[in-house]
Amino acid sequence: MTTKEIIGKLNLDTLVEGDLDREVTSCYIGDLLSWVMGRAPEDSAWLTVMGNINSIAVATLADVSCIILVENAALDDDARKKAEMHDVTILRTEDNSYSLALKLSELI
Amino acid sequence: MRELSLNVMDVAQNSVRAEASLVTITVTESDKDDFLTISIEDNGCGMTEEQVASVIDPFFTTRTTRKVGLGVPLFKMSAEQTGGSFSIKSEVGRGTVTTASYVKSHVDMTPLGDINSTIAILIRCNPDIDFVFVHTTDNGSFTLDTRELREVLGDVSLDTPDVVDWITEFLKEQTEIIYGGV
Repeated sequence: MTTKEIIGKLNLDTLVEGDLDREVTSCYIGDLLSWVMGRAPEDSAWLTVMGNINSIAVATLADVSCIILVENAALDDDARKKAEMHDVTILRTEDNSYSLALKLSELI
Repeated sequence: MRELSLNVMDVAQNSVRAEASLVTITVTESDKDDFLTISIEDNGCGMTEEQVASVIDPFFTTRTTRKVGLGVPLFKMSAEQTGGSFSIKSEVGRGTVTTASYVKSHVDMTPLGDINSTIAILIRCNPDIDFVFVHTTDNGSFTLDTRELREVLGDVSLDTPDVVDWITEFLKEQTEIIYGGV
């Protein structure tokens, strides 16, 4: 399923629009960036509360399809700019990670 | 990183790459005053202001051949997320001092982790470089200085198994004392 389709089905807010045609093949949850960096699968949707510039760097390194900020977590201004620059899709939801992951598991 | 000792390892390896001959690692912590400060000082080649700015920029570091990596940006974030601070002071030809200060009781405080193993590994893997490790708590302080060890050891290298064992045991004993026997 593409990122765009997931946005529509789960009613996610789009904060930064990257490549919405990218496939999402799995889901990864984590807030400890050094941990996520080596473990988030490529093409996954990464669920986190960390909306800072380092998160964008981790998303780029891990090559995830999108970052989904759960529980309406904030996105820093400099992180938004870097995400736009590097074509990283950032979405947001009021759901917590568990609830969103359950919904995602029905779709992918 | 899941423990601060891994950040210390990362920064100290930068010191090694900067061709330092002396690396001083200081850990000062106090439950009474609620802080933990880590400082890594070297006499390596140092950096320009632009280079310092680049090592704390995760995008600069991730887009190179990963000689630096995300280590420094994450080290900085770990300190700042506790309400602490982070600084790098560097001078070309003189060396670099990296300092991370933490509010120890903060809920997002990363554990110090196994700092003794980090020190022992650094010494064992870089026997030609001198390391000074100073660890201070409310109960006291101890120092391990490889320059003093060399005076006693003469031609015996610091990576000799018996020496490594002695260093490991010394760090363990001294740490138990400054942690009040725990």
